[in-house]
Amino acid sequence: MADGIVMYIFLFISLYFEVFMLVSFLRRRPTTALTSSDQATAHDPKVAIVVPCFNESTTLAATIDSLLALDYPHDKLEIIVVDDGSKDDTLAVARTYETDSRVRVFHKENGGKHTAMNYALARTDADLIGCLDADSIVTSGALRTVTPIFENPKVAAVTPGIHIKRPENLLQHMQDAEYRLGLFVRFTLASLGSAYITPGPFSIFRTNIVRQTGGWRHGHSTEDLEMALRMQEAGYMIANAPNAIVYTGTPRTLRALFRQRVRWSYGFLRNGADYRHMFANKKYGNLGLIILPTALLSIGIAVYFFVHLVVSLLQTGMHQITRFEILGFEFHPSFNTFYINTSALWFIVIASVSIVVGLISVGTYIGTGKRRPPMGTVLFILFYSMIAPLWLGTAAVRAVFKTGVRWR
Amino acid sequence: MNPISGGRTARWTTYIIAFLITALIFATAFYASNYFNNQRIADIRATQDDISTDIISLETQFDLLQEHSCADVAENTILPSEMTSLGDQLSYMEAQGSSSQDEVTRLKRLYSILEIKDYLLMQQLAAKCNLKPVFILYFYSNKGDCTNCEKQGYALTSLSQTYPELRVYSFDYNLDVGALQTLVSIDAVGNKLPAVVINGKVYYGYQTVQDIEKILPQLSTLKIATSTAATSTKK
Repeated sequence: MADGIVMYIFLFISLYFEVFMLVSFLRRRPTTALTSSDQATAHDPKVAIVVPCFNESTTLAATIDSLLALDYPHDKLEIIVVDDGSKDDTLAVARTYETDSRVRVFHKENGGKHTAMNYALARTDADLIGCLDADSIVTSGALRTVTPIFENPKVAAVTPGIHIKRPENLLQHMQDAEYRLGLFVRFTLASLGSAYITPGPFSIFRTNIVRQTGGWRHGHSTEDLEMALRMQEAGYMIANAPNAIVYTGTPRTLRALFRQRVRWSYGFLRNGADYRHMFANKKYGNLGLIILPTALLSIGIAVYFFVHLVVSLLQTGMHQITRFEILGFEFHPSFNTFYINTSALWFIVIASVSIVVGLISVGTYIGTGKRRPPMGTVLFILFYSMIAPLWLGTAAVRAVFKTGVRWR
Repeated sequence: MNPISGGRTARWTTYIIAFLITALIFATAFYASNYFNNQRIADIRATQDDISTDIISLETQFDLLQEHSCADVAENTILPSEMTSLGDQLSYMEAQGSSSQDEVTRLKRLYSILEIKDYLLMQQLAAKCNLKPVFILYFYSNKGDCTNCEKQGYALTSLSQTYPELRVYSFDYNLDVGALQTLVSIDAVGNKLPAVVINGKVYYGYQTVQDIEKILPQLSTLKIATSTAATSTKK
């Protein structure tokens, strides 16, 4: 009985958050939309795009090529490649681009992504500084879309619209659907003034604010999350420009995906602990009141439902084994409507999944102008509901024991 | 879509609208679930009414037996599959743990009474009309104190599938029904479940299909289901 009540409370919270995000999207204030149509701004700010890299020789060239193809005045753009102690040909690949006046290449001892970013920060006088992970490619109009937003002095950072590079296998098609949901979430969080991640692929920052707030930190291997929380703490705004499109590489194997997501979740939990004063704190508005608490609670809820599902599947499996032992294999193709599951729980789950599909569709619209969710949507919902609690649980255990996580 | 950046000050109306929509979805889910449950209960009740009517009719025919032939009466007996199907539906409703458990329990009590009436009637018919129905009374508990009840249920299902004319009457030992408790006393069934009563003798603990076939040789007089016979041949 008590377990049933807890289950319905958790379901209510999950559903409420989905509905809240959808309502927030629909009720976003027109005045908060920043027009990017007037792109001929009085002056183009100087922008430095940092490409921190560690053993990225196979993907680096495409990343730099895309940056060189940016539609932006040459004298206002610098591309700073920081080789963070690579063991492969990364430095040699980067050096081939030094003939272009916009490209500067540095090599340093390996120290992690945040040290590479700070290394570049110390060597630029640009007004805006951004990062582009060396596995990502930016579209030519992306920077032109982003820079006018900084005319609002409160904006400290702008996040892009992240899509995945040509999904090839099933896992990447699922991630494609996930990233469409990410487009919706990032957009809506920005409208709520509650973005708490400034992702590695092409987030652009106001340089002086980055310096004032202390540059990049290790941030438990999620420096993009720590930086965003720090900016929110300082009262700055983080905008989102879904039309600033960037394509990023995604894990091809389950093992790599699992590792990446444990790092992300671990980073959220550890940084969340560092910034715990922001949770349930009215001073931080939507971010403190609903976004951060729900993000934290959702980890527990996902693990709770996963354990329930596993126990239920095990029990059903045991019953079926017993049944098989006595009755043998039976196949009864008869269909009786009497036995269709019509529990309230089932209806709520259907409603919740339908809303998620709707949100993926909205994310697709935000990012591409089309409405049809990508082909991996159904698999994403089925597979992630089974596998995500595993990395969330793993991250939670590691966060409790402060084990630390590595990038690779 | 154009870039966006909003203030983070909470708009309480958004929180309230989201709450109302979520509450509405929940209310609709519970209403729909309740509606379908009531439909099921109505289905069960209708089936029970039919069976009840059939039994009363059969009893009446039986009373008028001198004016009817035994063949006429035997033709109108309740098929074992009808009873089993109703029992399955009640078990499903019980396992669902829906909000209408009291109603389900009421239906289950009536079902037990119908089973007992059918059992008694069949015994009387057997005596007067020289029929040879084969009965098994099965007592179980679903309070979690009967580890082998699930297996016993499957074994009896297997027998029912092999011998469609076999009449298996399942009773929840803990059900508060006077007639059932009387039956328990008459057959002296102790609280050591599962228990099956075959030819007036109580067998406690799990009885396999083979065990039952051994202690109930009359089974061989019953017709064997064709599909199950094929399966049996494979064994």
